[in-house]
Amino acid sequence: MEQILKATQLSKYFYQKKALDKVDLSIEKGKIYGILGPNGGGKSTFLKIAAGLLKPSQGEITIDNEKPGTYTKSIVSYLPEINYLYKWMKIKDAVNFFKDLYADFNAEKARESLKFMELEEEEKVTTLSKGMMGRLKLTLALSRKSKVYLLDEPLNGIDPISREKIITSILDSYSEEASILISSHLIYYIEKLLDYVFFLSEGRIILSGDAEELRNKRGMSIDKLFQEVF
Amino acid sequence: MMTLLKYEIYRRWRWLVLRYAALIIIGAILLNRVSSPAYQYEFIGESIGKFALTSLVIFVIIIIEGINMLKEDLFEECGYLTFTIPNKGRTILASKLVLLFFQLSFWTIISIGFGSILFSKLPYREMVQIKTQINFYFYPTLLFILTAFFNFVLMIHFSLTLTRTLLVNKRYSSLLSTGIFFFLVYFIEKVYYGPFLNQIQYISIEIGSRANTTLLSGGYTAVFLNIILTAIFFTATSYLLENKINI
Amino acid sequence: MMEFNNSIPIYLQIIDSIKQDIVVGKLKAGQKMPSVRELAETLKVNPNTMQRAYQELDREKITFTKRGMGTYLTEEEKTISSLKEEISQKIILDFVEGMNKLGFSNKEMINTLKEYL
Repeated sequence: MEQILKATQLSKYFYQKKALDKVDLSIEKGKIYGILGPNGGGKSTFLKIAAGLLKPSQGEITIDNEKPGTYTKSIVSYLPEINYLYKWMKIKDAVNFFKDLYADFNAEKARESLKFMELEEEEKVTTLSKGMMGRLKLTLALSRKSKVYLLDEPLNGIDPISREKIITSILDSYSEEASILISSHLIYYIEKLLDYVFFLSEGRIILSGDAEELRNKRGMSIDKLFQEVF
Repeated sequence: MMTLLKYEIYRRWRWLVLRYAALIIIGAILLNRVSSPAYQYEFIGESIGKFALTSLVIFVIIIIEGINMLKEDLFEECGYLTFTIPNKGRTILASKLVLLFFQLSFWTIISIGFGSILFSKLPYREMVQIKTQINFYFYPTLLFILTAFFNFVLMIHFSLTLTRTLLVNKRYSSLLSTGIFFFLVYFIEKVYYGPFLNQIQYISIEIGSRANTTLLSGGYTAVFLNIILTAIFFTATSYLLENKINI
Repeated sequence: MMEFNNSIPIYLQIIDSIKQDIVVGKLKAGQKMPSVRELAETLKVNPNTMQRAYQELDREKITFTKRGMGTYLTEEEKTISSLKEEISQKIILDFVEGMNKLGFSNKEMINTLKEYL
């Protein structure tokens, strides 16, 4: 299988603190990956490096054989955990902004998705509830036809109805041409989506494997396994 | 770059319109008053003063806004969006600086326009007197000030970027940026302007022109030095944004 | 919607559930199955997991794939009746194991069953 993202001995230090410690990880085309672990375990740091917001302290990461930069940003769709949209925006501004700045953004799909997510284009982003914001961010991230999707905690703080919609959208966007990497500490809700999981704790990968094989071998759910490991 | 510039304008177009409309309207009102036959010459100075004050306030707004344009992206959550769009660091920076440049140009045109009309209403004798005092240096000085302020903003951009890239430190970032900025100012004054401008001053005295001893006497040379400085800081800041971003 | 027990591989559960639907007649012999994608979305599972379940069903000759047309259920009566056999065997096995755990002897088991029926 073709590797689309590859990290070798990737480390990130913030002064003394090791946010990532020699992480080796690779991602193939057409699969959905879970990067699971407690808060502060390094999940967000990893995704931020892949998205090009942080520089690694040591080691290397390549996406489609290139280091993070303008090219990788054009093929990576990143959904951060925080509210990254400009405060002046209305929902329609955000859609237009994405359409103007990402060549792979499908405005048609975004509009349909907004309807499905029950979001009004005229609404200001600052007035959205956490669930609505989560739905909007996901709409924007998944309306791109990217090679890699990096979704940082897409379900954190999200109500059950939004959660259902978000999971449906992720499955709907799945393609054999793309890879999806989802970080989460709420494993119960996403474990059925995952092909492969990485358990990340204190900056290290402490366990990884095919989700079905892990279930088979350990005789327990990934969620249970997670609780046992941590 | 045009797309980003479009959004920089679009997001604040109401403020932009308001700002320049206010300057124009106040200018027009003062001009109207000054133009009435009943108006006393003695008060023209006061009108000029009022206009200058309005103009100054708007200038300060432009400068602060220019600084905040990049500061926001570096220190607030929206940076996650700005720095994940597939654009070069220099494009992102340029879109902000071009708007700053447009704003300063626009401000200059309006201010000089109204200023000179108001000025022409002064009694002939006074006008000539002031003209002889400032005429010689007026344009180089104006250009020097504008380019200097442009660099002022850019140097702050550089300081902020440096803090946020090589020296990743959230807690002391504003202190650190301020420190870097003042160091730069000191350094540039000593190492860059100093030798050049002393030379010019020396030459001007030699040829017996009316050189005064301020920095402004550098005239167009100082403007030229400023433009080189702009190029240096633009390149450096773009490089950091492109290759060393750590937010 | 189908509830999964996440401690057992999901593709196995999907296979079992499809087999059950065939036996009880919810799915008819020879009928076209939904696409991998469709079913993955309905069940909210990973499409690759779904694919794996379909592959397994194909291998067991419960379904067959017409190139470019999709997946169809077999029309072989034999396969379907053997499925019924397979599932009933499994239920009996579970029953017997459960009863054994409770300490029932084979004879007692039959008696309780008779009484119940």
